[in-house]
Amino acid sequence: MGNFVRPFLDNEFLQRAFLAGVLVSLTCAVVGTYVVLRGMAFIGDALAHGVLPGVAGALMIGMPAMAGAAVGAAVMVGGVGLITARSKLSNDTAIGLLFIGLLALGVVMVSSADSLTGDLEAILFGQFLGVNTSDLVAQSIALGFVVVVAVVASRPFLLLCFDADLVSAMGYRAAWYHRLMLLLIAATVVVSFQTVGALLVFGMLLAPAGVGALISKRIGTMMLWAAVVGVVSTYVGLLASYHFSWAAGASVVLTAVSIFFVVFTGVSIKHSIVGDRS
Amino acid sequence: MNETAVVARRLSVGYGSKVILSGVDAFLKPGGSTALVGSNGSGKSTLLKTLAGLLPVIDGGLEVLGRPVGELTAKVAYLSQFHQSGFVLPLQAIDVVRMARYDQRARWKRRTKIDDEIVKESMILMSVDDLAMKPLRDLSGGQQQRVYLAQVLARRADLLLLDEPTAGLDAPGRAAYIDALNFERSRGAAIVTATHDVGEASTCDRVLLLAGRVIADGPPNVVMTPENLLETFGIGLTKVGDQLVVTEHHHDH
Amino acid sequence: MRMIIIMQIMNHNKLRNLVIRPIVGALASVAVVACGGGESSSSDRPSVVVTYSILGAVVSDVVGDAADVVVLMPNGIDPHEWEPSAKDIELLNNADLIVSNGLDLEGNVMEAIEAAEKEGIAVFHATDHIEVIEFGASGHDHAEEETHAEDEVVTAESVVDSESDGEHKDEHGDGDPHFWTSPVEMAAVVEALGVALADIGIDTGDRAAMINESLLNTDQEIRDLVADIPAESRILVTGHESLGYFANEYEFEVVGAVIPSLSSEAEASAGDLATLKETIADEGVSVIFTEMGTSPDVVEALAAEAKVSVVELSTHFLPEDGTYKTFILQLASMISVALQP
Repeated sequence: MGNFVRPFLDNEFLQRAFLAGVLVSLTCAVVGTYVVLRGMAFIGDALAHGVLPGVAGALMIGMPAMAGAAVGAAVMVGGVGLITARSKLSNDTAIGLLFIGLLALGVVMVSSADSLTGDLEAILFGQFLGVNTSDLVAQSIALGFVVVVAVVASRPFLLLCFDADLVSAMGYRAAWYHRLMLLLIAATVVVSFQTVGALLVFGMLLAPAGVGALISKRIGTMMLWAAVVGVVSTYVGLLASYHFSWAAGASVVLTAVSIFFVVFTGVSIKHSIVGDRS
Repeated sequence: MNETAVVARRLSVGYGSKVILSGVDAFLKPGGSTALVGSNGSGKSTLLKTLAGLLPVIDGGLEVLGRPVGELTAKVAYLSQFHQSGFVLPLQAIDVVRMARYDQRARWKRRTKIDDEIVKESMILMSVDDLAMKPLRDLSGGQQQRVYLAQVLARRADLLLLDEPTAGLDAPGRAAYIDALNFERSRGAAIVTATHDVGEASTCDRVLLLAGRVIADGPPNVVMTPENLLETFGIGLTKVGDQLVVTEHHHDH
Repeated sequence: MRMIIIMQIMNHNKLRNLVIRPIVGALASVAVVACGGGESSSSDRPSVVVTYSILGAVVSDVVGDAADVVVLMPNGIDPHEWEPSAKDIELLNNADLIVSNGLDLEGNVMEAIEAAEKEGIAVFHATDHIEVIEFGASGHDHAEEETHAEDEVVTAESVVDSESDGEHKDEHGDGDPHFWTSPVEMAAVVEALGVALADIGIDTGDRAAMINESLLNTDQEIRDLVADIPAESRILVTGHESLGYFANEYEFEVVGAVIPSLSSEAEASAGDLATLKETIADEGVSVIFTEMGTSPDVVEALAAEAKVSVVELSTHFLPEDGTYKTFILQLASMISVALQP
């Protein structure tokens, strides 16, 4: 028992890390559910990477990283919105190019600024163990925002996942709600990247919600399971970082992804034994 | 209830600036059923979407339920041809039908007893009441289609716009569908169906044969002549007794 | 998704060695052949190319006017992480002498340097001329003659970037590259450098000897600076394992680091931080000396919890006047001031 609880009791930085992980998990559970259901994994990934030049720019001029991330996310969301609205180019291609371009811009900015090389790593992989109170506050606010939006917009969001045509046919402005979803993803990335890192936050969006999709019958339960998986992954990952000296952020995400594949295998086996109904 | 369900004057519909179907004049009354018949690309789905307010009118005039198109969406029920999400979305059948009631009351109000009753009635009509708690993805294609039809019924709309509503339905399903249509018509709703099934079209009050333009418009037995069908589909069909028999092939489509 | 994999390769030491370095090396070799070895430089003087700034300052002093000295890394860049551009590789290939640190400090440019060496360009590794400290568990450093001791590697209990073990074994064992924190070792390097320069026809007169002497004077200054620090306070906790030579020279003990690795590239783990927290309590540490490459948030969190203060040292880059002497004296005095009773 001591080995599983004592590390957290003895170390404040681990307590804060756990709290941060819980907040990130809850936020990602709500937003990740919609990302998975709408097949927006690619866009979510793009958003997560596209914030890099914003963060790099902010650090270079001495502004807080989160402010830069917010700007970067706004550019990404705007760009994605523009592209999906008008281009004849396949959306995938255009979005992919946009985020790779922004990512490359970010790397160039970081490499040309003398003082930022170490920070690139921190941005990409996060600093789970360096979470401070203002980070936690920002994450709580983001969680509150995300939950409120998800509750208020739950019906149009559900319609959007079910049948995009039906949204407009029932008088909701589909484009508006689509952009609102992008905003939620952006907000999640902006507050979470400092903890889990820009590369890995994407994993926390997909893996727990993916588990939820596999085993839930209703959207509400899906979000619940996603939250559970996220919190469990945080706990196990931090514990592993403590006992095996593994990188914290990566351990958490690795746990979440592993849980997904275990559940995936289990569900597949169950279907082939019981027999699928389709 | 309005005096007219749909009024279209020299209507052209399409995507962006590309016109798919032009020159539609129509005057649809409440309680009537109209079939839009044509092959793929004829414009029947496009016309239906335009009536639903999903696509802007390219040219001409269009009024739905006495108002400019797209204003009275709460009184319109639209069933699309393709359903993308059946296999991932964690939804129970009853959740799908309940969606129909979302815009029938103020956005933030909870479900009412009336909503629940309507939902239940609709599901009974389409014989899916016993499947209510099952996940949508566990149902067969035909069962899913019946659930989508139940959703349409639950809207208690004045105008039904249905794109290939009988796709995937077995014989009992079709029977339930016909009962449901009659129920809606008795309420005074107008029904517009897009179909490539000539047999189904012949049960409607009125048929529009479409192939980029209106080939013919009127009661089915008048309109669905072999010549008209040849022009619409590129093949000739004749009714022999109860069956439709191919008599000619045209290759200029 | 591919982007994720590429970025993770770029930031993952082992994969970087397996994937990126051979590619860079191949490109460098092509560049050498393409540029041709006989291209003359634009000025008459020979060119000495140095990898990073601290070493560059010393080399400039030794060389004086006898040659052009070019330093590749801008001052302030973390040498553990820096990657050369095409221009840098071109400079290397046109050099008359390449001066590098060695022991994998500038890991990302080693391939290019080796390629240049194969084409006949003279290369001087500073760490070939020092008493290399094998990286061991806290407090158990032991200096050895320069060696390729693959078998005698003693690794710390919890090295996060454990891939570096494997690849270091192929080169110089787990040798600590941060020799420049000891002016005595730097003096040895200066002496050897004078010889190497003479070997390729660059005459530096008696500059090498003069600088050697100046360094030994500086060494004495530092001894005076730290003389008053009591024995129980002579313990160091740093960002990563960078002060081994300083500790060795001036009788300090490095009891722990935020990232217990010779490189700043690794990430702090909860286990390492918890161990460090215990060490701080056990050994009565009062200061964490953080440095470039260590996450300031992590250090702040740890320091607040362990109730110690934080002093930032510049261990990998030069001060404003750009001289080594100021650099090492500043380093020593900051440590000394922080640890005075």
